[in-house]
Amino acid sequence: MKKKPVLKIRNLTKLYGDIVGIKNLDLDVYPGEIMGFLGPNGAGKTTTIRACLGLLQKTEGDVKIFGLDSHEDSIEIRKRTGYLPGDFGLYDDLKVKTILKYLLSQSGVSDESKMRELSERLELDLDRKYGNLSKGNRQKVGIVQAFMADQDFIILDEPTGGLDPLMQQKFYQFLKEEKEKGKTIFMSSHILAEVEEVCDRVAIIRKGKLQVVEDIGSLKEKMGKKLVVEFDDGVDPSMFDLDGVQDVQIDGRIATMIVTSNLDEVIKRISKNDIVNMSLETFSLDQLFLTYYREGGSG
Amino acid sequence: MKIVKTMMMELKNSWRGYGLFILVVILLIGGFTQAFPAFSEAFEDELDGSENIEVDVVEDGGGVIVRLSWVEIDDAENYTLLVGASPQMIVPIDRVDGIQEMHYEYYTPYDEDGSMPETYFAVVAVSGEERENEFVGMETNIDRRSPLEELWGMDYGDIQGFISVLWDMWWFLLIGLYVGYISVNSVSKDFEEDRMDILLSKPISRKQYLLEKFSLVAGYTLFLMIIAGLVLIGSVYSVGELGNVTSSALVLSAVLSWPVFLVIIAFSILAAVYLEDSKKAMGLSFIFILVEFGIHLVGDISDSLKHVRPYTIISYWDHEAALYGEAISLVDVGFLIVIAVVIFVVTLKLFERKDIPT
Ligand SMILES: Nc1ncnc2c1ncn2[C@@H]1O[C@H](COP(=O)(O)OP(=O)(O)OP(=O)(O)O)[C@@H](O)[C@H]1O
Ligand SMILES: [Mg+2]
Repeated sequence: MKKKPVLKIRNLTKLYGDIVGIKNLDLDVYPGEIMGFLGPNGAGKTTTIRACLGLLQKTEGDVKIFGLDSHEDSIEIRKRTGYLPGDFGLYDDLKVKTILKYLLSQSGVSDESKMRELSERLELDLDRKYGNLSKGNRQKVGIVQAFMADQDFIILDEPTGGLDPLMQQKFYQFLKEEKEKGKTIFMSSHILAEVEEVCDRVAIIRKGKLQVVEDIGSLKEKMGKKLVVEFDDGVDPSMFDLDGVQDVQIDGRIATMIVTSNLDEVIKRISKNDIVNMSLETFSLDQLFLTYYREGGSG
Repeated sequence: MKIVKTMMMELKNSWRGYGLFILVVILLIGGFTQAFPAFSEAFEDELDGSENIEVDVVEDGGGVIVRLSWVEIDDAENYTLLVGASPQMIVPIDRVDGIQEMHYEYYTPYDEDGSMPETYFAVVAVSGEERENEFVGMETNIDRRSPLEELWGMDYGDIQGFISVLWDMWWFLLIGLYVGYISVNSVSKDFEEDRMDILLSKPISRKQYLLEKFSLVAGYTLFLMIIAGLVLIGSVYSVGELGNVTSSALVLSAVLSWPVFLVIIAFSILAAVYLEDSKKAMGLSFIFILVEFGIHLVGDISDSLKHVRPYTIISYWDHEAALYGEAISLVDVGFLIVIAVVIFVVTLKLFERKDIPT
């Protein structure tokens, strides 16, 4: 996979006045992969995406797409990149077909086959007025316009918002097929199951800073276990001062922590006290993400 | 090609408004011109039989001598002169009987404020045993000009003057406000309805985006001007005035207003790019238009205020020269176009540095 990255972000910073949108972000997305972009609300996902596309003026840093400078060569980049905004509107009084044909022409493409094919798959009625569509159906219009020019790189900001579960599945299937065809996809999301299902790698961002970029596979491998111990008496937190033990929380007689290694040593130490109860559970990916989402989480 | 597609798109999206306004323009131009005959008659509202009487007013110290002379009436033995303060002369203020000649000098003292009193004279011929009266005619010592003429110091009696009123008073405001409105909307709606992200994610430069918006409104406005010119020809023809003004002069006088509106379009798009919000941008655009119109009105009130005229774009639209077939100042036209281009360039610089809001 170590080809030249399709998207290469270096030291990207975007400030909105005093408010930090994103700070010193580095990220690479390689050809043929689906990169998930996760983070809590306000983390800076939309800011990153829009700065890459030149919709926002970056405060600092460098973005290259297909090796082209995001500012200087933005037209060439946009010829080769599809984009679905997280939040968008279109022409309420016009038919979906009219709108899509227009947007396609703006990309300089006349072949409507992909537009029609994808609309059919997503059960989108092209003859309806956009303004009369439900939220989910509007989202489908957004998805179709992002993919219809058959570009090599697609950026999606929360693509499945408003889609029903069945539609989401159809969309995931479509994404996988696009990947098979060699397309590169960078998508932000809040839905962990979605990322787990379709993404090859995931980047997690919190408060404008990148927390981790990791293979979904190796993330699962590295997953720690959640250990909860109820003692008979008070606990000395220092006993958990060990490599591989994180997020220690003491609540009265109950200690909760995440253990990624040194489990043996942890058990030895706690067994020196009287234990009332104890549980050890493997993290689901959800919980893993939550550790990154939370204050203090790190890779 | 993309620009044509965008124009088609804009037309599909708002053809109702555009079409309706063309209708408004046709009705305004057609209707306005139809009023010309009645209007010009009202201006030439001559006193009965004034063609039979000549007046000559001579200043004389504390007053004026009004020298009247009139045509001879067959069989008249003598003439009676009635003097009144209004043309109705219900209660004459003076009466001179038995004038033998066909002329008379009537002395009127000045009013208390030193001005010449408005006085009307009626001459009646008296003849035969029955002392039959025959009305000869009526005249006055003052210049009878309409209040409008007094105000603008212009001659609206001819069709050119009349159309100038249309251009000066109606056209600029009506077209200006509408063109400002559609210019602002053409950009603001893309912001407000959250289309900007998708539109600008396509391989279109912001320069091209603005050019498309500008060209669309400018093209539509030019179309309106041409329609106006053509309707004007038909309408002027229908009131029988096409002999007094050429068709090309009519069209030219309308089309010459185009550069004025180019400035308004550029300014309105600037307001929309800067403020994003359509209501605020429209407010700013309308203020600009109304201020320009206000300066135009003030500058026309009197010669002492004419130094404000260069500050309104309306002054650079010489519809009178066009209507009367005089030379058009290309410098004026060029000036307006330069202003529009400068505003456009400023707008572009602003837009290129702008964060597109979500
Ligand atoms: N136009 C703006 N002006 C000021 N601050 C902004 C603006 N846009 C975003 N921000 C701030 O920048 C930060 C990142 O916002 P961003 O929209 O990128 O988050 P996000 O990760 O996309 O969140 P969400 O999951 O809610 O979509 C937030 O703190 C947000 O308040
Ligand atoms: Mg977002």
